[in-house]
Amino acid sequence: MTSLKRSLGSDPLSSSISSKVFVRSTKSGKVQKIVRELYLRQDIPCASKLCTACLATAPRDAAGVLAPFVLSAKPAGTKAYLNGHYLLPDTNALLNALDLFESTSAFYDVIILQTVLEELRNRSLPLYNRLIGLTKSAEKRFYVFFNEFRLETYVQREQGETINDRNDRAVRRAVKWYDEHLSQAVKAAGGNKKSVPTVVMLSDDKENLKKAKRDGVAACGLKDYVSGLENAEQLLDMIAVVKEGREIRDAKAQEALFAEYYSVSKMMTGVKNGTLHQGIFNVSPYNYLEGSINVPAFDKNLLVLGRESINRAVQGDVVVVEVLPKDQWKEPSTKIIEEEALNKNENADAEDGEAVVTEREKKALQEEVKKVHSKSSEGRPQPTARVVGVVKRNWRQYVGHVDESSVSQSVKESRKQQTVFLIPMDKRIPKIRVRTRQAGEIIGKRVLVTIDSWDRDSRYPVGHFVRSLGELETKGAETEALLLEYDVQYRPFPKAVLDCLPTDGHDWKVPASTDDPGWKDRRDLRGLQICSIDPIGCQDIDDALHARPLPNGNFEVGVHIADVSHFVKPNNAMDAEASIRGTTVYLVDKRIDMLPMLLGTDLCSLKPYVERYAFSAIWEITPDAEIVKSDFTKSVIKSREAFSYEQAQIRVDDASQQDELTTAMRTLLMLSKKFKQKRMDAGALSLSSPEVRVETESETSDPIDIKTKKHLDTMSLVEEFMLLANTSVAAKIYSAFPQTAMLRRHGAPPKTNFEELGNQLKVKKGLELRTSSSKELADSLDGCVDPQEPFFNTLVRIMATRCMMSAEYFCSGTQAYPEFRHYGLASEIYTHFTSPIRRYADLVAHRQLAAAIDYEALDASVRSKGKLESVCKNINVRHRNAQQAGRASIEYYVGQALKGRIVEEEGFVMKVFSNGFVVFVPRFGIESLIRLRDLAETEPESTFDAEDYVLRTSGSREVEVELFEKVVVRISDVKEEGTGKRKVRLELVKTGGK
Amino acid sequence: MAPSASTQQILLSPAELSYLHTSLSLHPPIRPDGRSATDFRPLHAETDILPGTYGSARICFADGTEAVVGVKAEVEKSTPSYVGHDEEGEEEKGRNEWVEISVEIPGMRDDDSMPVFLSAMLSESLLADGGFTGRLWINRRFHWKLYLDILLLSQPLSYPLPLLSLTTHLALLSTRLPKLKSEQDEDPLFDDDWDASVHLYPAGSAKPAVTLLVMAVKDNIIFDPSKEELSVAEVVLAVSIASHSLSAGSGAMEVDSGSGRQLRLLAVRTIDPPSRLTHPGVPNSLNTATGGTAAASLEQENSKREGLHEEGVWQPPRGGAKRKLIAGMIARVLEKGGVGEEVLDGLDAVELG
Repeated sequence: MTSLKRSLGSDPLSSSISSKVFVRSTKSGKVQKIVRELYLRQDIPCASKLCTACLATAPRDAAGVLAPFVLSAKPAGTKAYLNGHYLLPDTNALLNALDLFESTSAFYDVIILQTVLEELRNRSLPLYNRLIGLTKSAEKRFYVFFNEFRLETYVQREQGETINDRNDRAVRRAVKWYDEHLSQAVKAAGGNKKSVPTVVMLSDDKENLKKAKRDGVAACGLKDYVSGLENAEQLLDMIAVVKEGREIRDAKAQEALFAEYYSVSKMMTGVKNGTLHQGIFNVSPYNYLEGSINVPAFDKNLLVLGRESINRAVQGDVVVVEVLPKDQWKEPSTKIIEEEALNKNENADAEDGEAVVTEREKKALQEEVKKVHSKSSEGRPQPTARVVGVVKRNWRQYVGHVDESSVSQSVKESRKQQTVFLIPMDKRIPKIRVRTRQAGEIIGKRVLVTIDSWDRDSRYPVGHFVRSLGELETKGAETEALLLEYDVQYRPFPKAVLDCLPTDGHDWKVPASTDDPGWKDRRDLRGLQICSIDPIGCQDIDDALHARPLPNGNFEVGVHIADVSHFVKPNNAMDAEASIRGTTVYLVDKRIDMLPMLLGTDLCSLKPYVERYAFSAIWEITPDAEIVKSDFTKSVIKSREAFSYEQAQIRVDDASQQDELTTAMRTLLMLSKKFKQKRMDAGALSLSSPEVRVETESETSDPIDIKTKKHLDTMSLVEEFMLLANTSVAAKIYSAFPQTAMLRRHGAPPKTNFEELGNQLKVKKGLELRTSSSKELADSLDGCVDPQEPFFNTLVRIMATRCMMSAEYFCSGTQAYPEFRHYGLASEIYTHFTSPIRRYADLVAHRQLAAAIDYEALDASVRSKGKLESVCKNINVRHRNAQQAGRASIEYYVGQALKGRIVEEEGFVMKVFSNGFVVFVPRFGIESLIRLRDLAETEPESTFDAEDYVLRTSGSREVEVELFEKVVVRISDVKEEGTGKRKVRLELVKTGGK
Repeated sequence: MAPSASTQQILLSPAELSYLHTSLSLHPPIRPDGRSATDFRPLHAETDILPGTYGSARICFADGTEAVVGVKAEVEKSTPSYVGHDEEGEEEKGRNEWVEISVEIPGMRDDDSMPVFLSAMLSESLLADGGFTGRLWINRRFHWKLYLDILLLSQPLSYPLPLLSLTTHLALLSTRLPKLKSEQDEDPLFDDDWDASVHLYPAGSAKPAVTLLVMAVKDNIIFDPSKEELSVAEVVLAVSIASHSLSAGSGAMEVDSGSGRQLRLLAVRTIDPPSRLTHPGVPNSLNTATGGTAAASLEQENSKREGLHEEGVWQPPRGGAKRKLIAGMIARVLEKGGVGEEVLDGLDAVELG
């Protein structure tokens, strides 16, 4: 009998066939043995410019185009590798030091093996994505070599060999093959042996290095390699903390400080049968020892209190929690606990005698508990939980600064490696322990670090230093820090994107001849008296308006939006970049564009006096603001004037101006007021957020003054017509594409959100907040007035705004029609259409509207629900980040503007804790905490009446602070000792008005 | 009593049958292929021939019959059972539904009696082992469900039960299941490295059951009968045995053997020998051509034959087997250094891939 097994020896082709066997567990719980056949080939190129043999055989794509060879013919050399070298990192090297590979000073010409790439993907998806990003950037010259498919580099797993060992062997084999291949290539080209670059395996694995040495493969430890580079010290810090130190500690058998995480299967089982809960971990911004988790099983959040319960979870992680027994339930704390204040004088190097909870922390918590217990039974304790495992870490790179007190003086100068604490900018992130050689240099700088790990025996996560952004409080460093913190893409547009721009550049013009294809289906509206109204200095003019009387007594009103979709075609590099950026981010001194400048501020921008393509919405409106008919068309317009809000206001108010433009604006203003009234009657909310504007010196953009934004009629003029355009377009694209229309909704906030505010108003002011509908809410908000205090209403509106849900983009097929409602605007359906230069959602809406009016065919990308959903998800996040970044930027500049000044201002108490209160200063739009210990030299005794929201102090200073109370505060700025961070500081001067 | 072994016609004349029967009843019996009574036909075996399965084996007998067995496993949620508790209140680990056996024989539908009967016989012997389904227990909430696909590649020249049983035995021995990573009653989670998978029957543990075919002619006990031999068999038994580790339960019948292998008898089935369906020879006394008188009716003929014991005239066997003979056959299988041991030793020698 002949065997049925595939014999390897007899078949001449057998060497090119192999198989891979593994076990796959599906989501539904099925377990499958998978056998994959591998067909090995010999035409996978080495991608070195030295090699001509590969160039001849390398496979081409369907268009016959060969992927360019990236590895340079003359790679850089080092002391050890004089002939130049290609780097070939193994998985550990990438895991521990991806930051190194991203640095621009070294690490060029790198070969990434498929084996390594796949292993990395299994170990860490974020790192994998970063590496993919690197391999895509042409300048770093990274090449992914598919060694598992190349006959010569494929390695069969041996009997009893672990997967890791096999992969290591595959890496070594690839190095060896490259080595031989390159020397052959050079020889074939008649080159001299000296010019063969060395292929160096980079590894952090001692065993692998040893084996490489045995096999005669050029290999180098990561540290050794980096030490040989020029700026070794900076680079060395970027290597993740390798576990050497731990081994020593293990030997000491140090007791673990935290409970061990459950196994994945235990968590999965628990979550499935409902005994454990999964959710995203959120840390309270006021108390770093209090986290909350929203889980699908309960309406209200679960509280996670104390370091032990938090169990190494970091803000944003996806965690699994277990609900604690009822006797451990607590109220959310009324106390402010800041890590910085509590654990100020810790030594980062000290390892022994560490307790998870320091004595002081314990005391703070004890007081909490006491308060809860002494409370009347009315104080409802909330369910608490503890973290039992982390499903997914959402660690990113964090911006922060080094805690100066953790740096010992003696080594500040020296280059000795030492451990320091890094205090992240985001208060919700714990201190990070970082080992660095540059302690002396990075003090007082904004630095970027990543978290590497958090072990059970360490109180703080361990991370490594990535790079320094610059001195604290310098504009560059702080701005970059903000952008990094809010994940704003601020790098210049890559070449591929710029290639998508029109070749004429700034000389582009609307074609003169109306026979040009650009004029196809475009209406010629150049004769209309169109103007734009925008904030001062606006360069990216999205919208322009016109109005003219019709013979029948009605008005024709047009909203003209920049025709961005004409320039940004779906699915090219520019479109992809814009969809990733999602929105333009406005900082005080800087604008991070979604689209390249050429489009945003010139070709698309509806600048005055020039012809531009536009997308117009034109209505016939009766003098009572009833819409008779609406019409959408692509058009060509010529704006007559670009006004600022102020200019427009002056012109409208000036009765002597009787020209066509001004009368048109008056018509618009008249109509807009009627529209607004109708909206208000329908229950639209007028909410408020603290808005201030920082006036900066035009050249240095140093802040000069802070002004609260003034509201002008012309602003609501523009706003009303933009809302009108948005709602009309939303209805139009929804009727054309019921499944895939890009819309925007604002969910009705759950009642519980207003509970607290409603109670506060009732207790303090005897006012009632009705929240059953937006109309009710709008009316009751109108009723929240304090005759003595005009600002009180705004304050309540600000607080109410914070109780709202955030509006979000969505794809119409994912929600039922009643869910489309925009709560704040009281509109049934809504979208964003009017700012395509700065928002990607508008661009999608443009494309859909163009298809809806049969102007062009709908591209597949805006037709697919799945794709749109992922676009929505991304732009929702980007949008929120952009808002937060903008706010943070204003906050920073307000702080800078106040630098060195001491001002007394009126403020209002927004929130009262048992050991402090939050004061909001409308003049500067700042909100800051005043702690009891800031009130006097020695911290006064206090009693906190949580039911009445009153904090009374006695002893060293006697004050009574009530919620909503007007107080006078002294605003100054302090540079915090030890941290070198400038902060706005408020001091209570007196309660009551000036 | 099992149905007739094979639907295949026996293409032997009464004279040939008689000749065979006579030679097999000699002491020692003379078998047509020259084997001794306990000799097995040579066979080829290999395991792990199907990479996509969890375990597989193939056996080829010298007469050209050939079988392939593939084992697939699936994780299944256990339904709570209210009867599966034994006296101590411990939950019984393993239920018979956890194994599904299908037998496919070329030219037969899957509801034909032969495949159905064969799969029933095979599962009976496997399950009679007791410990088998227990191996499929993952935790209290989950178990493996095992699918045994038994495929006869050739025509069923001789009764295929032993071939299929031996192949199944080997396939089960080579079966590996992914390694469990989760603990206790959690949703099972497995190691994705196939090399880390564990054998269903780890080395040194008990082995799955094997069914042997034993026949008797007069008082001669003959093992591994060929097709021709079966056609004159008086008694055919399918004897299922298993070896088990020394610590295994004491309830089953045990026979000590010196080699340390302990054999257990798991099941015995009598099989209706095909010889019963053969045509009888016509003795001279009933043959008009040789001067005899043909019987007037079938009853008459039968009663006449009853009294005849003519040498060289084929008479299909009638009546049951004698108890003593059956006991003797079983003993021969189980005895120390006997056939059972020999077969199991032979199977042990097959290298597991």
